[in-house]
Amino acid sequence: MIAGRLPSTAVLHTLAGMVLPSAQSDFGVSGSLAEPGTFNSIEIAALTLGILLSAALFFWRFSPILRNILRSKKDPNYKLSPISGRAWTFFSEVLCQSKVIRQRPLPGLAHAFVFWGFLAFALVSLNHIALGFGLGFLSPTGILGRFYFFFAAAWALLVAVSITGLFIRRFFVRPVWLGEKLSYESGVIALLIFLLMVSYLGAFFVRDGSIAVRLLWWTHTLTLLVFLPLIPHTKHLHLVLSPVTVFLKNDGYAKIPPLAGDEDFGLVAGKDLTRINSLQTYSCVECGRCTEHCPAATTGKVLNPKEIILGLRSYLNEFGPHSDIPLLTESRIASPDNPPAKYLSMEAAFECTTCGSCEFQCPVGIQHVPVLIGLRRGATNTGTWEDDYGTKLFLALEKNGNALGLSALERDKFIQKQGFPIFDGTQDYCLWLGCMGSYDPKGREIIADFARVMQHLGTSFGVLKKEKCTGDPARRLGNDLVFQNLAEAGLKSFEAAKVKKIVTICPHCVRTIATDWREFGIAPQIEHHSEFMARHRDKLPRQDGESIVYHDPCYLGRYRHVYEEPRSVVKQAGTLVEAPRSHERSFCCGAGGGLAFLGEEKGERVSHVRARELAGTGAEVVGTACPFCNTMFRDALTAVSERPPQLLDIAQLTARALPASQPAANLPPESGGAQ
Amino acid sequence: MSGVLVVVEQRGGAWNRMSFETLAAGQQLAAKLGTGCSAAVLAASAASLLPELSSKKLQKVFAVEHDLLAQYTADVYVASLEQLIRREQAAFVLFPHTYQVRDYAPALATRFKQVLISDVIAFRASGDSGSPVFVRQLMQGKLNADYHQTGAGPCFVSIQAGTFHADTLEPGNAPTETFTPQLAADQIRTKPGEPFRESSQTVDLSAAPVIVSVGRGIGEQDNLPVVEELAQALGAELAASRPICDNGWLPMERQVGSSGQTVSPKLYVAVGISGAIQHLIGMKGSKSVLAINKDENAPIFEIADYGVVGDLFEIVPELTKAVRAAKGSA
Amino acid sequence: MKIVVAIKQVPERDAPIRIAADGRWIEEGDLNYTINEPDAYALEEALQLKEKQGAGEVIVVSAGPERVQSTLREALAKGADRAIHIECDDLGSRDTLGVAQTLAEAIKAESPDLILTGLQSDDLGLGQTGVVLAELLGIPHATIIMHIEPADGSLKVKRELEDGWFQHVEMPVPALLTIQSGGNKLRYATLMGIKKAKTKELKTVPAAVAAASPAVALERVYLPEKQKKTEMLTGSPQEIAAKIVEKLKFEVRAI
Repeated sequence: MIAGRLPSTAVLHTLAGMVLPSAQSDFGVSGSLAEPGTFNSIEIAALTLGILLSAALFFWRFSPILRNILRSKKDPNYKLSPISGRAWTFFSEVLCQSKVIRQRPLPGLAHAFVFWGFLAFALVSLNHIALGFGLGFLSPTGILGRFYFFFAAAWALLVAVSITGLFIRRFFVRPVWLGEKLSYESGVIALLIFLLMVSYLGAFFVRDGSIAVRLLWWTHTLTLLVFLPLIPHTKHLHLVLSPVTVFLKNDGYAKIPPLAGDEDFGLVAGKDLTRINSLQTYSCVECGRCTEHCPAATTGKVLNPKEIILGLRSYLNEFGPHSDIPLLTESRIASPDNPPAKYLSMEAAFECTTCGSCEFQCPVGIQHVPVLIGLRRGATNTGTWEDDYGTKLFLALEKNGNALGLSALERDKFIQKQGFPIFDGTQDYCLWLGCMGSYDPKGREIIADFARVMQHLGTSFGVLKKEKCTGDPARRLGNDLVFQNLAEAGLKSFEAAKVKKIVTICPHCVRTIATDWREFGIAPQIEHHSEFMARHRDKLPRQDGESIVYHDPCYLGRYRHVYEEPRSVVKQAGTLVEAPRSHERSFCCGAGGGLAFLGEEKGERVSHVRARELAGTGAEVVGTACPFCNTMFRDALTAVSERPPQLLDIAQLTARALPASQPAANLPPESGGAQ
Repeated sequence: MSGVLVVVEQRGGAWNRMSFETLAAGQQLAAKLGTGCSAAVLAASAASLLPELSSKKLQKVFAVEHDLLAQYTADVYVASLEQLIRREQAAFVLFPHTYQVRDYAPALATRFKQVLISDVIAFRASGDSGSPVFVRQLMQGKLNADYHQTGAGPCFVSIQAGTFHADTLEPGNAPTETFTPQLAADQIRTKPGEPFRESSQTVDLSAAPVIVSVGRGIGEQDNLPVVEELAQALGAELAASRPICDNGWLPMERQVGSSGQTVSPKLYVAVGISGAIQHLIGMKGSKSVLAINKDENAPIFEIADYGVVGDLFEIVPELTKAVRAAKGSA
Repeated sequence: MKIVVAIKQVPERDAPIRIAADGRWIEEGDLNYTINEPDAYALEEALQLKEKQGAGEVIVVSAGPERVQSTLREALAKGADRAIHIECDDLGSRDTLGVAQTLAEAIKAESPDLILTGLQSDDLGLGQTGVVLAELLGIPHATIIMHIEPADGSLKVKRELEDGWFQHVEMPVPALLTIQSGGNKLRYATLMGIKKAKTKELKTVPAAVAAASPAVALERVYLPEKQKKTEMLTGSPQEIAAKIVEKLKFEVRAI
C-alpha cells in the first residue's frame, strides 16, 4: 500500500531499470555500497508517511500488549539487584545466544546468525533511513563506512543463508515441536528478512545514483516498514520483548514465589498474573523446545507447556489482566459459563512433574514452573481442585505427617531395628531419612546402605527422633497450608535438635529444605548424599567392571546443578555409561510434582519411556540418586525389558563393596530407639 | 437387685450368632458373682427361637413379645427392655456389641441414669472397688482400660464379638416366660424400611470383607486360577498388585495400592506379593493380613499378622481345600 | 436446615502411648490433638447437605479445654459457619452421660433441625454420646448412617446393618444421626478456608455443672499384653493350611 503512494514516473523508471537492457549501465561492481543520491520532496513525503504509518501500525498493535503487561499486578518482592547477574544472563543468553545454540545446535546457530546479523544491521538500517532525509552518516567511501558496510554485508550473507535454512526446516522438514499447523506468518517474516538482506547486498552490484539503486533502496525501505508492524502481531514480538524478558526474569530456577498478603492464593484468575508473568507470556516464540522436552507432552498427556503460556496469552488478550474469570477450568469444553476453557485446563496443570525441562530449555526467559505451580496453588488453595488421590495425600500429610499415610510408629520401629542413633548435637551430621527412607522398603535399604558408607568413612551421624515430610508434594501441588505447617514444624525440629549439617538421600528433600523452606526461616545446611560421597570418593572402595548408566534426577541436576558428584561415585563403582539424554537434558522419571501420589497417568507412563532409554544403553546397572526415581524404575524396568538391568542407588553401589556386617550405628539400640 | 440378664438378638427369626457368645459371658459372670443368668429375646413371636435358648443353663428365658416388636426400632426396644429390667431388677444387663445394640442400648442405660460399658473384652469378678471390673480397649486397641460401675442401678455391658466362645456355653433346661410390654404405636418415632443388600455391578474392593490379592509371585497369567479358587472358597474378592494389572492379567479396577484402590477388609490374603510401598499404602488398613511368599525377607511380612514362607503353588491349593472343608462342616 | 455437628478432639492416631503416673490416663504432654475422624465425616456430611440445599447453617460444637478451639477453627476452615466451644477442663472425669449433658445444654439453645456426630470416638471408642444426647433432648435418632436425604420436615436415612445389609429409616426432624466413617470423601483444608475462618464466630460458653457423680468410672489404663507381631506358620503344606484355617476361624473369624 505504500508503493501505491509513489509517483508513477518513479515506478516506471524503477521497472525500466529492472527489465530494460538500456538500464544495464546501472549495474557494475563498484567495490562499495551504492547510494541512491538525493531524494525529491515527493519521495521524502512518501517516506515520512510510510514511517509514520508503519510506526502507527506497530504501536496500534503493540500498545494493547504493553498495556496488558503494565496493568498486570506488580510483582511483589521483585528485586532488580544484583544487576551483575542479570547482565551476565543477558550477555550469555541474549547476546551470545548460548541457550539457543547449545540446546539445538544447527537451527540454533542459524538463529544466532540472524540475530547477530540484525545487530550488525542496526547501524546500517539507521543510516539507510537517514539517507532518505539526506542525513546519511556512514559514508560508503570513507574508511569506517566502507569497512562497516562490508562487515554488514558478510552478516547479510549469513542471515540470508540462515533464514533460508530455517525456512526449509519450518516448511519442508517440519519438526513436530513447531506445532501441527504451519505458520504462514513465519513464512512471510522469513521472506521479508530475506528480501532485506538481498536488497542490501544488491546495492554492492549497482552504480551510485542509478535507478536500480533507487529501486533497491525503496525495496529495502518498504520491507522494513512492512516488517515493523508485523512484529507485535506475530511471535516475532520476541524480537522486542525477549531481551527484556531475559533481563527481567525472576531470580532462581523453578522458584516458587511467596504468597503476598491475605488475598493471594496463587494464580486463580487474570488479576493474579504479575507483570513478569504477562511479559513472559507475550514473549513466547513458539519454538516448542519446552514441548519437545516435556515428559507430559511427549507421553500423550494433555499438558503442553507451550500451550499453557499461549493459553495465558489468549486469556490476557480476551479478558485482560484484571479479570476475575478463573484461569483453570475443570471442563475443557468452552461454553458461555466456561469461557476460558479453551485456554487452560485443570487436568493439564496437574500433569506437570515439575521436572523443569521447559524452563531450562526456554530461550526467551519464560519461567514455566512457577506458572504451573501458581495455577495449581490457585486451584488447591481455594479448594477447587478435587481429586481423590490429591485429597488423600493432603489428608495423609495433615494427619500422619508423611506422604504415604503410614503411622510414624513404623519409622520408630525402623530406626530402632537399624540401631540408628538419635541426633544429640554431638554428631557431625543429622541424617534425614525422608518419607521414602523412613517407610519405603527400598528407600530404607538405601538409607541403611548410606549409613554404612558414613560409618565406613568414620563420619558420625544421628537421626531425628521424629520426622515429618518436608512438604515437597504439597508444595508442588499448590497446597500452601499443608506446606507451611510442615515447613514450620521441620524448621522447629531442626532448631530444637540443634542441627548444623544435614545429609539425605532424597533430592526433593534437599531442594525443599534448602530453597522452599526459606520462606519461613533458615534451615541448617543440607546436602545430598552424592555430594557427601563425592567429597570422600578417594576413601570409597574401587570396583571394576560393571557398566552403570547414571540417571540424573531432575531435583539434583537441573534444580541443584549437581551432575559430576554422583558420576564420580559411579565411576568408583564401575564404568560410567551416559544415557542419550543426560545432565541438563535428562528426562524425568515421572514421580515429581507430587505425581507419584496421584494415581495412574494418561497415555504412556513417563517412567517406561525413561526406563526403556536407560535399559537401551545395555548397561548392567541403572544407577539412581533419588528414592523416587528408584521406585518409579523398579516397576518400569521389568515392564520394558526382558532382562532388566539391576537398579541401585549410588549409596548401594558403594556399600556393596564395603566389608560386610558393620553395624550401622555407633550407639546401642536402647539409647537409639524410638520415643 | 440381683442376677445377670443377657439380651440376645434376632432378626427375622434368625439368630445373631454373637448372642451365644454373650450368653457364655453371662453364664461366666453369673458364676463369678454366684448368681443366676437369664436371657431375653425380643420378637413379635419368639416361639421358634425359644427351644435353642432354653437348652442352655439359664435361670429363665424371657420371650418379650409384642406385635410392635416385629421390626426393630430403638423406641420400642428401649421401652420394652426398660419395663422388663425394672420388673426383674436385674443387676447386670449384657448385650452383644452389635450395630443394633449400639443403636438403642445407650438410650436404655440413660433411662436408668446409667452408662453402658460398651465393647467389653473381659471382666474380673471384683476389682479394687469391690464391684466387677470390665476391660475395654481404648486408642484403637493400643490401650486397655478397666471400668467399673459407681452408680446404683443396673449395670449395662456390651460384649465384643469373638471374645467369648459360644462353644463354652453350659447346656441346661431353662423355663420360659412370656413378657408382654406395654407399647403403643405412637411411641415409635422412626419408620424403618426393609433391610436390603446393594447389588454391586462394579467391583468395589473397598467394601469387601475378605480380599485375596495376588502379586508378581504368581509368575504367569495361566497360574491365576490357583488364587481364584482360594478367593472363591473364602467368598473373597480377587485383587492384585500393580504389576499384575499392568500386564493386563486382571483389570485395573482390581488393583490395590497407591495408584489403585485403598482397602480395609477384615482379612487380606497377600499371595506372592512382596509388599512394595505402593501396595502397602493401599492395604495397610486391613484388620488382619495373611501373607504367603517364598522370600522370607519380603517386606509384606512386616505388616502381616500371619506369615507363611513357602511356595504358593504348594500352599494355596491345600489352603483352598482346607477352607472348603471347614466351610462345608460349618 | 440448621445443622449442629458435635465434634470431639482426640489424640492423633499415631500418638505415643505412655501411661501417666497415676495410671488412669496416658501422658498428655507429648500428645498432638486432632479432630476425631468419624466426626470429620459427620462434618463433611453436614457441609454437603448444606451445599446441596444451597441454604442453611452448619454449627460445630465441641466440649473440652482451650485446645479444642484449634479443631473448631479447622472445622470453620472446612466450611462450618459458626463454632461453639463448651469450656470444660474436666471432660475426662465426666462419663458419657455427663458429657452428653453438657452438650445437650449448649445445643438446646440453638434448637437445630439436625444434629450430627461421628459414630464413635478414636480415643475412648464408647460409641454412645450421640444416642445419649438424643435421649436427653427427647428427639429420635439413628446410628451408623451412610446417607441422608432431607424431605419436608422429615429425613430418610440409609443405615448400615451388619454383613453388607442396609436399611432405610424415616423420621421427623429434629433428629440426631451418628455418621459412619468412609461414607463420604473428606475434603482437605485450604489456605483460603483458613483465612476465611478467622472472620467467623467462635463462641465460648461455660459447661453445665457436672452431674453429682458419674455412673461408671475408669479405674486404670495399661498396655495390652499382646503386641501385634507376625506369627509365622510352618510345617508341611497340609499342616500350614490347617493352621491357617484355625486362625481364620477363631482369630480372624473370616470363615
